[in-house]
Amino acid sequence: MAQFTTEVFQNEFLPDGGTDVHAIVRVTCSGAGETRMGGGGEAAEILIVDTSGSMGANGIAQGRYAATVALNEITDGTWFAVIAGNHVGTLVYPGYGMTQMVRMDARTRQEAAAAVQMFRADGGTAMGTWLTKAKEVFLSVPQVIQRHAILLTDGTNEHETPDQLTWAIQGATGFFQCDVRGLGDRWQIDEARRIASALLGTVDLIPSPERMADEFEKLIRASMARGVASVDVRVWAPQGAQVLFVKQVAPNLEDITAKRSQVNPLTAAFPTGAWADETRDYHVAVRLPAKSIGQEQLASRVQIVVRDEVQTQALVKATWSNDDSLTTRIDDQVARYTGQAELAAAIQDGLAAKAAGDDAGATRKLGRAVQIATATGDEEMTSRLKKVVEIDDAEAGTVRLRKSVEKLDEMALDTASTKTRRIKK
Amino acid sequence: MSSPAGTPGAGASAAASAACPACGAERPPDAAFCEQCGHDFGAALPTPATAGPTATRNGETQTRHAPVRAQTADEGLESPLDLGWTGPVSRGAATEVDPAPAAARCAQCGTGGYLDGYCDTCGAKQPDPRDHFAESPAAWVGGVCDIGRRHSRNEDAMALLGSTRPLQQAVLVVCDGVSNTTDSHIASLAAARAAREVLDDPVPRGMGLPDAVVGVITKRLGDAVVAARQAVVETTPDVNAPTPPSCTFVAALIDEGLAVVGNVGDSRAYWLPDAPTSEPRQLSADDSFAAEQMREGMPRKDAETGPNAHAITRWLGIDSPDDLTPHTASLQLTEDGWLMLCSDGLWNYCSDAVALRQLVADTVAGLGGHGLHPPTLAQALVDFANARGGVDNITVALARVGATAGPPPVASAVVEPAAMPANPTAANPTAANPIAAIPTSAGPPGATEASPAAYAPPQATTPATDAPETAPAPELHPAPDPAPSPAADREDSPDGTVHD
Repeated sequence: MAQFTTEVFQNEFLPDGGTDVHAIVRVTCSGAGETRMGGGGEAAEILIVDTSGSMGANGIAQGRYAATVALNEITDGTWFAVIAGNHVGTLVYPGYGMTQMVRMDARTRQEAAAAVQMFRADGGTAMGTWLTKAKEVFLSVPQVIQRHAILLTDGTNEHETPDQLTWAIQGATGFFQCDVRGLGDRWQIDEARRIASALLGTVDLIPSPERMADEFEKLIRASMARGVASVDVRVWAPQGAQVLFVKQVAPNLEDITAKRSQVNPLTAAFPTGAWADETRDYHVAVRLPAKSIGQEQLASRVQIVVRDEVQTQALVKATWSNDDSLTTRIDDQVARYTGQAELAAAIQDGLAAKAAGDDAGATRKLGRAVQIATATGDEEMTSRLKKVVEIDDAEAGTVRLRKSVEKLDEMALDTASTKTRRIKK
Repeated sequence: MSSPAGTPGAGASAAASAACPACGAERPPDAAFCEQCGHDFGAALPTPATAGPTATRNGETQTRHAPVRAQTADEGLESPLDLGWTGPVSRGAATEVDPAPAAARCAQCGTGGYLDGYCDTCGAKQPDPRDHFAESPAAWVGGVCDIGRRHSRNEDAMALLGSTRPLQQAVLVVCDGVSNTTDSHIASLAAARAAREVLDDPVPRGMGLPDAVVGVITKRLGDAVVAARQAVVETTPDVNAPTPPSCTFVAALIDEGLAVVGNVGDSRAYWLPDAPTSEPRQLSADDSFAAEQMREGMPRKDAETGPNAHAITRWLGIDSPDDLTPHTASLQLTEDGWLMLCSDGLWNYCSDAVALRQLVADTVAGLGGHGLHPPTLAQALVDFANARGGVDNITVALARVGATAGPPPVASAVVEPAAMPANPTAANPTAANPIAAIPTSAGPPGATEASPAAYAPPQATTPATDAPETAPAPELHPAPDPAPSPAADREDSPDGTVHD
């Protein structure tokens, strides 16, 4: 049985009249093990591979190869299926016309590997229909409690309306998790991010078809390692208090505040999907009614809940003090993640402004990003930013937009912006 | 909504229901934490070695999730340092301790219950037994140690002993942890207890001459200082820490009617005789910047309210000065009165011995028939200091010479914080003590109201207090809001002290 532990990083001391408590809650899961094999057959995996015309011969060839590699990583006993996506979603395996998933074993693996050889580059892109098809296929094995899909796309969602995609995402939300990967530079990060955020997955860029197999292997391995399905973070705040936000801040940035569902009047639950043996950090901010100097109270109980059972909890505290040396300090972890969140926002806003032709806004935002990355010593992000802007004064954040920018560099900067780095205590 | 940590759909855990592994209380099937002691049913039992008072170091809180355990020590052996200390347990008298989950009712909001040391509705902290405790080892000896109103930690400590026969033997020790040092709340309690242990041994009676006995006890007090300092040193987490734990020391040993007191730092001992014709006096000598200035001629009022008034010149700790010989004084307890040891949390509001005697006399009178019950009087004096602002931790330890009285019926000698009635208006849980409701003055109404910050006796017994009832005595500092001065070298400045 998996074990969860928590650690809290915060400065609990608030000045006279202070109301906002910030804490980083580090949650570590151990003993998650591999996805259960056989028995109840509780896990299901679907590969969704873009087979639109834009994939071309090389893209399709690499897609076939990557799917085969992925099939090899799916643990025996796991329910699985393969969907080929263009302007419609087609179940390639277990077979055309069928909707029942099958368990992985030597025979089905071989059949599936043969089936993916049938991928043909043809048609358009309608990711909503792929998601809807995946949901339909998942529903064929209702006993499954842990559902995961990989969605690979190489283009924009041009064969359905934005609303259609939204409806499809809504239909899948809370039902299965989905990691989204974009191949090349013609897909839309915003679209992919919308899908992945809602479906508790990640977004990343695969710069060239040759890299697909590695990425698929990594994603399936990660998915197979997730032995704990549907973990919720529950946040209790006292009467009269307000939960300002709940963000996952590591390993990647994801504001989950809007995913809240009320458990009781003082407690809200936020879904975090399935967990492997891993550590995730959450930034919880609570606004309290101010109390008098010397008073101490609990600002929040942050609980890890699996199927309505509380596994562990962390206590976030508040103590009002008139000692400036205590109240003015910002916890290192809180400061670092606050900076990383601001950096990500500056990069995304800057690139969005640039795409919209707002060069002044883009220059300002990206300049701010350079400034933060420099101040926090984030060399990786600084070097990514350098490919998009010329830096005149890093500390002041004075930059000029580069005349010609590789689209892939820009996209890599965008997708990397939400990856955070954990710092040591 | 009594249990946000509860598990709505947790039918699975029902099989494991029965008793709490920590305290044995009944365990409801859907509870994640024990209603009685807060034990986390999902966690292993903590080992006693890891159990200790929670300490917050600096601002970077490493939250310890040690669940509170019910203490099981017999009366007299229990310790506020024990995690989950819930007050004395009467031997074999479980019915006297309210078995209903009165402890689960939050003293702040009155609606929630304590789950894990905090209210499940308003988040208020469950009172820490270290924050307020009383000792009453004998009918004539008792004291109260209280966090006050403004500090987040009680760094004062107290350790008492008393023989059943009055004046045969008593030990009173008060230590005040220096508030800008690390973990001084642990250090001060360790120091007080170490000193009590040294002072506990019977005094040899062979030599007969009173001066020789005084000499033996004086030396014993010196040994107690050394032991107390050693105890502080042993709590020092890191010998290279820039602010190692430290505390003051004042102790009294009473032996067959002879009292000898000794002190290092600015915690005090007073002799307060009942008879108005007898002279009350401060027995201790402060090791403080203020005292040095007074020795140089500065008026007490100016010295004790000056910028460095609370800077002490000697203390117990790994960084203490070489000479820790206590200031000592002795007297024969031949007339009725009170021997009082207190921290500056009390004398901040009433420093002068004459005024203090008056305060005690009025407080005794105000307590009706129970004023001569030492812990009841000590609590009332703590309430007095809290009512004046409670800027610092407050400790009052008393030995009564003369007639004593029993406790008031509503309040036991030790008021268990968790059992206190809800009082939403109380800023501090200790203020909800029922004793607090008892007026501290039997004098004319308005006498105490006229001087909110410092004690004004209701009657003119000395020229200095001969003030009209409608206005505070000119020497007094009303100081309406006790704003602590961050510039104070050691502890928060008092908001006013009485005249000399």
